[in-house]
Amino acid sequence: MVDQAIIACHWCGSQSPAGTLNCRSCGAPLDARNVVSDSGWAAAPRIRDMVKIEFGQSTCQVEGQMVPVADIQLAAGDAVIFEHHVMLWKDDSVPVANIALSGGIQRILGGMPFCITQATGPGHIAFSRDASGELVVLPLHPGMEIDVREHAFVLASHHIEYSFVRIKGLANIFFGGEGMFMDRFVTRGQPGLLILHGYGNVFQRTLKPGESILLEPGGFLYKDSSVKMDVEFQKIGGSFLGGKMMAMARVTGPGRVGMQSMYHHPHHEKK
Amino acid sequence: MPDTPPAHVTGPTVRCRWCGYSAAGTGETSCPRCGATLAISVRSDTAGWSELPPVANMTRIKLGDSTCQIEGQTVPVADFNLRGNDGIFFSHHYLLWRDVTVSLNTMSIAGGIKRLLGGLPLFMTRATGPGHLALSRDVPGEIIAIPLDPGQEVDVREHMFLAATGPIDYQLRDSNIWFQQRSGQNNDDIETFYPIGWYVDRFFSDKQPGLLLLHCSGNCFTRMLGPDETLLVKPTAFVFKDKAVHMQLHFEYPHSNQTYTGLNPRLIGYRPKFTWVALRGPGRVAIQSAYEPMEGEYSRVDWSSACTNRTW
Repeated sequence: MVDQAIIACHWCGSQSPAGTLNCRSCGAPLDARNVVSDSGWAAAPRIRDMVKIEFGQSTCQVEGQMVPVADIQLAAGDAVIFEHHVMLWKDDSVPVANIALSGGIQRILGGMPFCITQATGPGHIAFSRDASGELVVLPLHPGMEIDVREHAFVLASHHIEYSFVRIKGLANIFFGGEGMFMDRFVTRGQPGLLILHGYGNVFQRTLKPGESILLEPGGFLYKDSSVKMDVEFQKIGGSFLGGKMMAMARVTGPGRVGMQSMYHHPHHEKK
Repeated sequence: MPDTPPAHVTGPTVRCRWCGYSAAGTGETSCPRCGATLAISVRSDTAGWSELPPVANMTRIKLGDSTCQIEGQTVPVADFNLRGNDGIFFSHHYLLWRDVTVSLNTMSIAGGIKRLLGGLPLFMTRATGPGHLALSRDVPGEIIAIPLDPGQEVDVREHMFLAATGPIDYQLRDSNIWFQQRSGQNNDDIETFYPIGWYVDRFFSDKQPGLLLLHCSGNCFTRMLGPDETLLVKPTAFVFKDKAVHMQLHFEYPHSNQTYTGLNPRLIGYRPKFTWVALRGPGRVAIQSAYEPMEGEYSRVDWSSACTNRTW
């Protein structure tokens, strides 16, 4: 009867003892059914208010539902990395340090140098983004590689290796010449926890090898690095005014792709 | 529709409180025609507004052989499964994702130049099946499903439109809601403001019933106005109305002994005012709880479309 005493989480696959209401690794409700659309998109689990997620010796409590907060209780020796602008509050005693990023590419965020900060326990530190949406909790097993839309990442545990890639071909098309970066998270020997924030609602779909869909670039949130992404154009409007080119991202499997329903175009904010 | 009698389960038939559709004993929990949850009572306030019935996550709306699934609740997605040659039209910037098999074409619209000047998309995009195609907007809110029977016509404020099915027809109409502030030596500098936009989108269906989908910001509330019943509504909160509802400008000036003379030259001689659209029944009207800033909120009214005034 041992196998009956275990529940597998439909979101992250990790196992919890029977009777547990929320997955310990990702916070997904275990007593709710997996919500999948006819077209194959699984809605990211709605994490209940105040649910705790365990990683390493530390915990993350998810608070609020419109603009959820990730409130981390760091154990001594554990650390998280994050972009400096998502920090909401912290204990005075928690040390923070900037991480030197490899690669000489200058990445600018809102006129300021882009930087990744590391906070080390013990103590509390909390993060949130600036718009209504969902926290997407992705526990990473060793040997995983995930690409994430820039600035969508809220925090990663310190065992996760962080780097970013510049997507040259997509630069002018997607983001008005600013260039597009994707954050890349890799786990080597140890598992880690990655938390993203998606605007609006978040959905995930697993593409079979060779299967592809066309996705609004602003709706792209994350993908396994095995998923290929290219740009495709379609002319919309054929009047004497010349019409307009619409760019869509063609994503091709195999692997997972994550989408946010409130698509986000950074250049709109700069107007 | 809020005027329909309260839903009651009489034997196997359940009547949808939002669109009036009678679902015969299929055991459906949501209305197949508009997606509204069936087994709940519509929440109304004492003033007469009814909250839009919730659409449960992953609810399917039937569109002939095709379906539309509503996914998510903060910024809901309308995910169409188009069969055969079924089609919908929409504004192309709401496209979230699509299957490779769905074809997109441009639909010409009468009044293209007017739309261009009005800042509206110049063309609508028509998508034809087979395959999936999903649309969403970029603000938290609700999707409003309005089934249109032949002969029904609704007027929708610009930028609220998400998609409509094939049988629905569309016309661009002057809103005829504007006012002007004149300045300069000869009063020849004219600034014109359009509190609900230059144009109103009118949707109707001639022969077959169709489905119209709107997206509002925040929450949507509807109410049925009796004949000659009048209501003042914030222009940017207005979502849609039945064709029979009459709409015009209304200005209200609170009691005050002085005019505002700030340093801003635009405000010299300005009297604090409230700008409203006055909606007069009979018919259905809808508002949204989150609204954009309004054009000309702090401008003087020197000349305007037909309006009424009230000074306290």
